Amino acid sequence: MRNKIGKIVWPAVVGIAFIVVWQLGLLHKLLNLKPFQLPVPSEIALTLADNWQKALTDCGVTISGALIGMFIGSLIGFMIAVIATFFPKWGYGGMIVITAFNAVPVVALSPIMNLWFKTGMGQKIGVVTVVCMAAMAINAYSGLNKLKPFSIDLMHTVAAGKWTIFRKLRLPNSLPYIFTACKINIASAIIAAIISEYFAASTSGLGFGIKDNLRKAEMAMGWSYIVVASMAGIILYLIILLVERDAIKWHASQR
Amino acid sequence: MKRTRHLCGLLAALMLVLPIAAGCSPAAASTTAATTAATTAASTTAADSSTPADTTAAVVETTAATGKLDKVTLQLKWLPQSQFMGYYVAQAKGYYAEEGIDIEILPGGSDIIPEQQVYNGVADIGVTWVSSLLKYQSQGWGLTHVGQIFQKSALLLVSKTDAGIKTAADLKGKTIGSWFGGNEYEIYALLEANNLDKDKDVTLVQQDYTMNQLINGEVDAASAMTYNEYGLLLESGIKESDLSVLNMNDAGVAMLEDCLFVSSDWIKDNEDLYVRFLKASIKGWADACADPEAAGQTVYDVDQSVSLEHQIYMAKEIAKLVVPEGFDSTKIGYTDMAAIQQTADLAFKYGLLKEPAVLTEDTVTSKYWVTATS
Repeated sequence: MRNKIGKIVWPAVVGIAFIVVWQLGLLHKLLNLKPFQLPVPSEIALTLADNWQKALTDCGVTISGALIGMFIGSLIGFMIAVIATFFPKWGYGGMIVITAFNAVPVVALSPIMNLWFKTGMGQKIGVVTVVCMAAMAINAYSGLNKLKPFSIDLMHTVAAGKWTIFRKLRLPNSLPYIFTACKINIASAIIAAIISEYFAASTSGLGFGIKDNLRKAEMAMGWSYIVVASMAGIILYLIILLVERDAIKWHASQR
Repeated sequence: MKRTRHLCGLLAALMLVLPIAAGCSPAAASTTAATTAATTAASTTAADSSTPADTTAAVVETTAATGKLDKVTLQLKWLPQSQFMGYYVAQAKGYYAEEGIDIEILPGGSDIIPEQQVYNGVADIGVTWVSSLLKYQSQGWGLTHVGQIFQKSALLLVSKTDAGIKTAADLKGKTIGSWFGGNEYEIYALLEANNLDKDKDVTLVQQDYTMNQLINGEVDAASAMTYNEYGLLLESGIKESDLSVLNMNDAGVAMLEDCLFVSSDWIKDNEDLYVRFLKASIKGWADACADPEAAGQTVYDVDQSVSLEHQIYMAKEIAKLVVPEGFDSTKIGYTDMAAIQQTADLAFKYGLLKEPAVLTEDTVTSKYWVTATS
């Protein structure tokens, strides 16, 4: 019990201390910055309070694009992993192509997606989809194939078909791997969505808000968007953690 | 053996993907350029600002001869192009060296903000738009306007004639492209001057650095500088007669653009150095405006990212902004306080500034220009 409280209290103390140091201007002295370059937390909070409606709308745009893109990308990644499992000879080539796609930076991808999609939302979903495919494909492939030897032997002994093995053995085995991919993807989806908005043909979204305000010397406004972006990221990550805890109670990582 | 096969597969896949990534989009190329520029800018250390300035011409000549030059870094607002031809001509013809200056010209880019570069000491002198500079000054950044290079606004809203946008009032219900980041305020002013609500009556979208959105019909009206994007449209084969143009100067909402500014702290110790820089720059601008074709060639020699024809087109258009019709060409760099005041008034009226701009000798000054030209 004492251990558990310590786990919450100490990080909280460090976090609060950091904010106090920042508020009192010690951070500015240390980094040689002026308050108009890096606003203090109270100013960021006040700016956010004044503009929370716009910030929430923009957050909604970014997050919905990130989630839709992550869903499509993860689905494609999973399908590729399944194909690679059933048809290892040529399916594995697909995995390599996906990995190569993953290496294309978002800053290069975003303008390309601008050519394909007319709206900012379409472009954002396109970018996030590409970014999320690889992590899911690689993780799901491991999950579908790293089977305990005795379980696959057992399946063979009872003359189970390919499909049965997939449903009863491979799929459940891949669940922890899929959650790992989801945790990786949620972070990269939000980052990709925000960066894609730097180049999008729209004026909504957290990314546009951050870029535009920091450029126009509206530092407090820009930072309030940064705060909203990180809060959204943390909340979504926690949601995935909770779902994971519920879905794979049987797995070693959850005991 | 198996490993080799995987490696081959990976290589083949890469070869497949790379051309797509590299060749697909001109915008992607410009992003790369911007990133490179950022790296260059970041790696450049600030010039030594404590060097005592030399005053007399004789001393200047000696320092030039012995190669002991004062280092000055100039941060451009955008990529190297004829928009900045005066500085490149002055550099190429050795005007800076004659003044005892070793000039370094840093290219700008989409994420390089001249105000921040100069304030942070990455560069000594910067080129930016007046409206943007006023905004930074109002937020407390100690920056001073020390010379106005462009005397007129070059921003246009361009549409295809079939969109039927003949006057600003016709913009109602249309999609308008802007680069934002401070470039949108003349458009806001234009809309409001015509009783249009920027949030309800029109759709404003972010425009990339090509004109594809207008060509493909994704926006009805696009932002275009007379000297750059408008030329791109013409070069892409669109006839001038098929384009309808709204000019900010005609609409009475013109804000001043390219000016020179410095950090208020830096200038205190470097007044003479700046005057010498300004002298050389004005000489460069005078030469460039007198012979834009040669200036375009000079800029093209520095940077071949766009064609020679486009650099020359740009040089000719820039000359019209630096020395407009009826403007005394000996007054290049002159700061018209009435025009600055109009820019400040518009910036306040249309929401760029929360309070009216404070125009004093500390924020906008002509004294260095007076010294440099007398």
